Amino acid sequence: MKKIFFITAIVLLGACQTRKDQTQMQATANPFYQEWDTPFGVPPFLQIGDEHYMPAFKRGMEENLAEIDAIVNNPEEPTFANTLEELERTGKLLTKVQRVFSNLASSNTNPKIQELQRELSPLLSAHYDKITLNEGLFKRVEAVWQAREMLNLNNEQHKLLEDTRKSFVRSGALLNEEQKNQITEINSKISGLTTAFGQNLLAETNGFELILDEADLDGLSDGIIAAAAETATQKMEKAETEEEKAKYKDKYVFTPHRTSMYPFLTQSNRRDLREQLYKAYVQRGDNDNETDNKEIAAKIAKLRAERAQLMGYETHAHFVLEERMLKTPAEVYDLLMQLWKPALERAKVEVADMQAVVDAEGHDFKIAGWDWWQYSEKVRKAKYDLDEAALKPYLSLDNVLKGVFETTNKLWGLTFTELHDIDVYHPDARVWEVKDKDGSHLSIFIGDYFTRSNKRGGAWMSSFKGQSNLDGKERPIVVNVCNFPAPVGDDPSLLSFENVTTLFHEFGHAMHGTLTNVTYRSMAGTSGPRDFTEFPAQILEHWASEPEILKSFATHYQTGEVIPDELIDKLLKASKFNQGFANTEYLAASLLDMDWHTITADEDVEDADAFEEASLTRIGLIEEIAPRYRSTYFAHIFAGGYAAGYYSYVHSAVLDSDGFEAFKEAGDVFDPELAAKLRTHVYEKGSTEEAMELYKQFRGRQPKIDALLKVRGLDGSTD
Amino acid sequence: MRLLKTLTFCIFFCLSFAVLAHPEDELVILEIEQGQLAIQDQQMTAEYEAALKRQRMRRLAAMSWQRKFLLFTKAGIEHIIPKGLDHILFVLGLFFSSLILRSLLWQVTAFTLAHTITLALASLGILQIPGAIVEPIIALSIVWVAIENCVFRQTNKWRPFIVFIFGLLHGLGFATVLNEYGLPQGNLVPSLLAFNVGVELGQLLVLITAAALVWFIRHKSWYRRGVQIPASLIIALIGLFWFVERVL
Repeated sequence: MKKIFFITAIVLLGACQTRKDQTQMQATANPFYQEWDTPFGVPPFLQIGDEHYMPAFKRGMEENLAEIDAIVNNPEEPTFANTLEELERTGKLLTKVQRVFSNLASSNTNPKIQELQRELSPLLSAHYDKITLNEGLFKRVEAVWQAREMLNLNNEQHKLLEDTRKSFVRSGALLNEEQKNQITEINSKISGLTTAFGQNLLAETNGFELILDEADLDGLSDGIIAAAAETATQKMEKAETEEEKAKYKDKYVFTPHRTSMYPFLTQSNRRDLREQLYKAYVQRGDNDNETDNKEIAAKIAKLRAERAQLMGYETHAHFVLEERMLKTPAEVYDLLMQLWKPALERAKVEVADMQAVVDAEGHDFKIAGWDWWQYSEKVRKAKYDLDEAALKPYLSLDNVLKGVFETTNKLWGLTFTELHDIDVYHPDARVWEVKDKDGSHLSIFIGDYFTRSNKRGGAWMSSFKGQSNLDGKERPIVVNVCNFPAPVGDDPSLLSFENVTTLFHEFGHAMHGTLTNVTYRSMAGTSGPRDFTEFPAQILEHWASEPEILKSFATHYQTGEVIPDELIDKLLKASKFNQGFANTEYLAASLLDMDWHTITADEDVEDADAFEEASLTRIGLIEEIAPRYRSTYFAHIFAGGYAAGYYSYVHSAVLDSDGFEAFKEAGDVFDPELAAKLRTHVYEKGSTEEAMELYKQFRGRQPKIDALLKVRGLDGSTD
Repeated sequence: MRLLKTLTFCIFFCLSFAVLAHPEDELVILEIEQGQLAIQDQQMTAEYEAALKRQRMRRLAAMSWQRKFLLFTKAGIEHIIPKGLDHILFVLGLFFSSLILRSLLWQVTAFTLAHTITLALASLGILQIPGAIVEPIIALSIVWVAIENCVFRQTNKWRPFIVFIFGLLHGLGFATVLNEYGLPQGNLVPSLLAFNVGVELGQLLVLITAAALVWFIRHKSWYRRGVQIPASLIIALIGLFWFVERVL
């Protein structure tokens, strides 16, 4: 770099000129306004600058509203084609920019994008309100709906009509003026309260810190200590007064964020400190201060109940579940309670196992919530003795990708060709073309696997382009984003088995987005109900832990040796570890969620604490376990979109275990007939039919919970 | 290792129930569970550079050998013109040493042979010397040959030998840039060869250009005083500047 100093001088003059020209050009030629004649219509990421988003969003929203107006003001009588199908065609520009933006905001963000996100969020929700509350539009949809018998609609068209109408009705389209005003008022109250709930929770989570001296670090590993020191340094840099800075100097800080808390609870030998941090975590939003969430939670639940009543539903849960695979609260409770007993029984056994360790160590205390992580880890080591480090060399990312590609190849004949000539938003994001058995193009698959500092944690699937057959065949562009460790030195990226499961899971979503073959974009891929869309993802995980498949891809990256049977055995056994705890805390939270959303509008909930306690006593939760989320920090239901929906994770798990059991019963995990059924009835269908119908067409019957109990070791077979 | 284990354990906890299919819905929840993303420019740049290299390696691995050969030849040329200014100056330093073709040929051959040896040894991982040592000495080698041009009218018989020693160092310099650029593990030797061919071509181009420029004045009486010595002095000065810069 240093060598080029005087060449630079020569080039500099010229460069300044062209740089300026380029920015001017970019300002006029917003890539979102052009047809993308790139290969497969992949967004021209390298031409898209942060300055292009806002104008494109604004123009996109304007165009969208103009298109809606054109539909509403169409002088012709409303028909399926001029209303529903036209509606499918609206919002092209908005969708185009929104897909790119929201993807990059999670996977490759920067301060400018973060700022835009905050600016855009209210603009977008106001925009979509304008459409769902558009009376003229609803009138036309309703007219088509009333005439549906005479229209000769096929199933897919009928479902589109039904779903579209339902979304208007559920926004209050059938109500009278007064009721509509009431709904609007309730909605704005709820939205204010949910925002406050989230902000309070953030403040409470950030507000507590466990500041430790070097003497308090007993048991902690070097990595954890380094991270805690780093947190302290960051806090010191942010501190404004000298006094505050001194507080963090040469200290170690732990917080109630899970990423900081779990390692501490697992490793720290200081029981008193574990207790402090754990209690701070479970008390979040419940400290009777200005950021207390008790009243807010109760108010939100109450308002939701009122809104449901106005809309003609018994409770909010009834309102939500109408659109789900499980249709009523009774069905949800039934499922949760069936799982509850075996989970709790198993958790009690786990407590006893841990107590035995405590006693053997010569301690004199009863296992409490803050001991769970530490002692379960001790039990895990003694009982399962799975060395993750010994496993990893068999699980290089490239091998695992080969494994998942081969799995879908054997199931459906799909092939994957990596495309090296397409540049996407980051050099770590890889691009494949997915082709069907007959060689026809199915989708573009982008895999963005390594963790980096401007990527959100966790793993997800999303898409840059949807699928539709309305105006010619349009195939999708789907993406998987994960947070696997980036390669170090010349070694490849080595995954843990949990990473492998995650990769298969997200790949399952990607297949749902890839195999989809529907007419209307809004019904494609993963658009189905929340308690169903995890099914295509979760079922694929089962193939990852099939010994036959593991052996086909898990070869040592240095020696080429195939993973030994003994290691596979240990791995499969360890998957049943701590399932009593995991299921109990999850089910308790799911039941709490259902309790909150099955209150009626007349019910008075004064005290959120008492409400929660009653709920937990009713099911007999043991004191060593707290629900995965207590009411005052249950952001999924009070700040996110999971109200009366937290159960959906386990419902999908019932489906995937039961679904995979079908392959087991057939005696071939690649049974061609079952694979074909799974594809045509599940992966291809999007939301063009009722989810339960789709499942039954694949499985031949309703789902049962037995397989799940077995998979999670809750059937009494685990020792 | 324990950190990793704990982390994967935690991730497992989060993922077993909370794998995300719709990131936009989860933003609030994520921020609460994970805290805000603290983006640091420096780290981001380092990650990006590493990712670029990985991408290049993937693309290389997928190329046909002909394309790869061309690519590495091109890379070799580029590492002389325009990226290898210090190597250009060294070669020019050789050029201004003598107008006798035979002497020049000896020197260039010694230089080529030497840097080929060390480039190969370093790229194959047999020889490793840190850049902090190699780079300043490369700068000094430029000063040395340029000063020698001013002091001696004709090259002495030790000159090819000294050039050979310097060539060994320049080879190590090439190896550093080549390593940053990335060598495909599969076709190491052919790629190395291609890169070397590129370097020679670049070197040749420098010599031919220099020769063409001085062709008509080379026999003038003032050639040594008016061209050879001033040019060598400038080269020596730049070399000295680099040496100071690289040591600091």
